[in-house]
Amino acid sequence: MRISKFARHVGTTTTLMSGILLALSQPAQANKELDKMSRQNTNWVMQTKDYGSTHYSELYDINITNVKNLKPAWSFSTGVLNGHEGGPLVVDGIMYVHTPYPNNVFAIDLNNPDKILWEFKPKQNPAARAVACCDVVNRGLAYAPQGKDYPATIFLNQLDGHIVALNAKTGDVLWKMENSDIAMGSTLTVAPFVAEDKVIVGTSGAELGVRGYATAYNIKDGKQAWRVFATGPDEDIKLSKDFNKANPHYGQFGLGLKTWEGDAWKIGGGTNWGWYAYDPDLRMLYYGSGNPAPWNETMRPGDNKWTMTIWGRDIDSGEAKFGYQKTPHDEWDYAGVNYMGLSEQMVNGKMTKLLTHPDRNGLVYTLNRENGDLVNAFKIDNTVNWVKHVDLKTGLPVRDPEYSTHMDHEAKGICPSAMGYHNQGIESYDPTKQLFFMGVNHICMDWEPFMLPYRAGQFFVGATLNMYPGPKGTLGQVKAMNAVTGEFEWEVQEKFAVWGGTTATAGDLVFYGTLDGYIKALNSRTGEELWKFKLPSGVIGHPITYKHDGKQYVAIYYGVGGWPGVGLVFDLKDPTAGLGAVGAFKELAHYTQMGGGVMVFSL
Amino acid sequence: MRFKATILTALSLAMGLAVSGTYAQEPLKVCAAEDEMPYSNKKGEGFENKLAQLVGEELGRKVEYVTWTDPRFYLRDYLDKGLCDVSIGMDTGDPRVLTTRPYYRSGYVFITRQNDNLDLQNWDSEVLRKAERIAYVPGSPAEVMMRAIGRYNDMFNYEQELVGYKSRRNQYVKYDNAKLVSEVAAGRAEVAVLWGPASARYVKESAAPLKVTVIPDNNARADGEKVGFHYSTSMGVRKGDEALLAQLNQVIEKRQQDIRQILEAEGIPLLPEQEPALAMKKQD
Repeated sequence: MRISKFARHVGTTTTLMSGILLALSQPAQANKELDKMSRQNTNWVMQTKDYGSTHYSELYDINITNVKNLKPAWSFSTGVLNGHEGGPLVVDGIMYVHTPYPNNVFAIDLNNPDKILWEFKPKQNPAARAVACCDVVNRGLAYAPQGKDYPATIFLNQLDGHIVALNAKTGDVLWKMENSDIAMGSTLTVAPFVAEDKVIVGTSGAELGVRGYATAYNIKDGKQAWRVFATGPDEDIKLSKDFNKANPHYGQFGLGLKTWEGDAWKIGGGTNWGWYAYDPDLRMLYYGSGNPAPWNETMRPGDNKWTMTIWGRDIDSGEAKFGYQKTPHDEWDYAGVNYMGLSEQMVNGKMTKLLTHPDRNGLVYTLNRENGDLVNAFKIDNTVNWVKHVDLKTGLPVRDPEYSTHMDHEAKGICPSAMGYHNQGIESYDPTKQLFFMGVNHICMDWEPFMLPYRAGQFFVGATLNMYPGPKGTLGQVKAMNAVTGEFEWEVQEKFAVWGGTTATAGDLVFYGTLDGYIKALNSRTGEELWKFKLPSGVIGHPITYKHDGKQYVAIYYGVGGWPGVGLVFDLKDPTAGLGAVGAFKELAHYTQMGGGVMVFSL
Repeated sequence: MRFKATILTALSLAMGLAVSGTYAQEPLKVCAAEDEMPYSNKKGEGFENKLAQLVGEELGRKVEYVTWTDPRFYLRDYLDKGLCDVSIGMDTGDPRVLTTRPYYRSGYVFITRQNDNLDLQNWDSEVLRKAERIAYVPGSPAEVMMRAIGRYNDMFNYEQELVGYKSRRNQYVKYDNAKLVSEVAAGRAEVAVLWGPASARYVKESAAPLKVTVIPDNNARADGEKVGFHYSTSMGVRKGDEALLAQLNQVIEKRQQDIRQILEAEGIPLLPEQEPALAMKKQD
């Protein structure tokens, strides 16, 4: 086993030295099986579809010639009304469906989808509901195939901060661990992510002074393998001794303390509630840390490292090999936790292992995922205005002071809004076309800071955010993009945001759901709309596709909510409510209402 | 007995004013909070409701409350727009309005449990350095000093917890004075730092005996600028409404004793008034 791993590392472009170290420190059961299953297009075993987060299926039974005949095959109501993010998993004939809080899990036998195979309804502290900022979403389940000392397992993160391991066959609880303390304002909305013998769990609640961390638990018993923070001393952040060696200008050591005033790093935020990607050859995990806290930038002078950072970490130790901070000293809440898409593409005539990240700040970053080199950084839409461009030499954004949110400045028309031009959707990458398909928000904002006197020398310090459709007049877009060149192949406008992301197939199709409740299929070469179907409620999750009994299916959650749907979920009227989202999406109530479930389509 | 006397004076004065005043019959429109206790609420249970009644009596005008819910904007959206005419409690010299002569002066206080017997006189105290939890209201002078003594970050999470983790973006988040006092009473916090008038009645009502220490007014920020902990309170009227201002000044002068009685009944720690010139200067 060790010898074969060693040989593989020698065969790749990784350095010999790290290959030896990795081989020696490797645990007994590398989770190769999951990687293999993720490539079988009959299954859909992780939220990201595969470790590269391609969301691309080689199935082509449903394709541009026949997609117009796609019809509902069956459906299942989850009985929960809040926003349904993420997607179901399909593993060897069983579909695993999850819900937002109360975070119920249903297993459905695809041979007989009429009947629930097993269900898990956790008892959790309802106080968690009050702590969650933007609806009580959950981004999905994770699956681990049977290992030497554990059965096939389903992982669920609960809003109340616990991670639960369930027997995939029975739904019985195998173990349960507390990851986040809701009494400290920390909840869990992120989907767990299985890599090797570990399951990775993030954190939410940056606004509330949570110091963000990612934790790896052993699959078999839930014992903590490592925990890495976004801020503070290097030991806590876990920087390898050659951290950012290839790009010292990104910053190296001591900055988790030095880029904060005093001990403000202790409440510095940088949680991660987005998506992970993994490269089994490099044994590296990729994810983004979120916004610094508190949101009022005047209260935290400095770069606030390492919030807003793309991390490349060793899966075994958690140590960071590189970290690239996209938005030093964030002023807009551009939490950088989004999608990490891996691809192998030619860069300057050389096949290169890449990582592409559409950030909330409206920029798309493509890095060499072995060492963190910045390959390209460009605007996802030409209406992005807080930044003029990214200096590829220094890696720094060149800002436009007009759109700063300083205390003494009222900024109008900042694009993107705090929701970002790209939020939590999982996007897709078609390797045959070298195209990423991006669901994009097109929402801008006014940010008016205030400091109003009250009495006895007390002031109310805050900001009023107003969000509204961007200059192109709609709230959403879908775009086909080459991440290396920065060129866009096509773009289509959507009336509402495409919040959940896209899924691409070898049938030359891109599927996605819209906030007003359509699932649509576009021709992935041209962007032409070929099919759509109106679901019972709006979509904030992503489509999946799988094959059962020789037939290809497409499945998607409906259930409007999340941040864009807070107005509907909590019946808010004030346009600045829901951190300003209500104004942007006030039309939505005329198009869809709450409801939750999964709908499955076939020819 | 005293109560009766008060009514009598009120009546005689009201009659006097009714003859000379121009809008004697019109109600006095008071800008009052729907729910900002202990100042005011819809049921009229706040001490500023009592003060408003007294003013109404004195002027011979029925008090009509125009209630607001968001203290951030009540002057802009209510007083300035003429929906109401007087705000009962404001810092003397608040530049947004015309303020009357101060009718009381008070200070921020440290609240601790009597049984704990803590030696807490000022912001230099060791007690504040060691306390596990200090309840205070962000945006108040207490926040400035929490930063100065290096406890701000430690208490950040607790400060959020006190309001159920509500973000201060796009909404008014109320720090409930009664809750902050009860945090100390119940032993969840060692110390609360609150504006004396805002906490007085809850200290009085507390089942667990509490100790109140007025914070001395000698604090400064790192850059040397004074951080005020004692404030004089006035009533406020719209700029330009000199007539009402003069009437209110008269009321305050004539009814000094009755006002003091209301404030003392509330349990508010009263400090000697400064020279008016000094008070105004401090607010600049």
